[in-house]
Amino acid sequence: MRNRLRVLRAENNWSQAEVAERLGVSRQTVNAIETGKYEPSLTLAFKMALLFNKRIEDIFQPDESELRKVKTQ
Amino acid sequence: MKSVSPGSRREWSVLAVGIIWVLLYFGAVIVLRKPDLVAWQKVTVALVPIPPFVVFILSVISQIRSMDELERRVHLEALAIAYPIAIVLLMTLGLLEQAIGLSPDDWSYRHVWPYLPFFYFVGLAFARRRYR
Repeated sequence: MRNRLRVLRAENNWSQAEVAERLGVSRQTVNAIETGKYEPSLTLAFKMALLFNKRIEDIFQPDESELRKVKTQ
Repeated sequence: MKSVSPGSRREWSVLAVGIIWVLLYFGAVIVLRKPDLVAWQKVTVALVPIPPFVVFILSVISQIRSMDELERRVHLEALAIAYPIAIVLLMTLGLLEQAIGLSPDDWSYRHVWPYLPFFYFVGLAFARRRYR
């Protein structure tokens, strides 16, 4: 899963600590999400979408290879 | 004046209760070395560390519930690492006891249990490193 958290944070001129405080998580959590080491829960993803006034899919983009594994038929 | 956050206060209370528990445990170990105690006194002394330990566990649970989702995952992974290591240690000691008869002066419960929290902290270090 790729994400645009770092870009959106920079656009708003927020530090990781500021984003963490606004989301009610630790700075380590924001850093782990930014670096792709941790994928947030749906609840936290919705909170991020609300914070940046974006849709979830504007912040997170799944890997195409993962999507191809879904059996739609 | 700098205010103390609820999370920080909770961490300090966990630490304080943990220290009380450890002090009572080592106090009990020292008292139990006295040969002039009768059986009921020994049992009473041996059980003294349990109440602060229960408070310690409850405060740890309370602290974990206050953590965010990544911190909870880190602690879960720490347990997932520590638990199998603890099983392997106990299983191996059991087999060695059967094979060569381990000395209770070196390998009794009172010697082995400190390894279990140690494994947890090893697991915690691994899990934290993964998400750093």
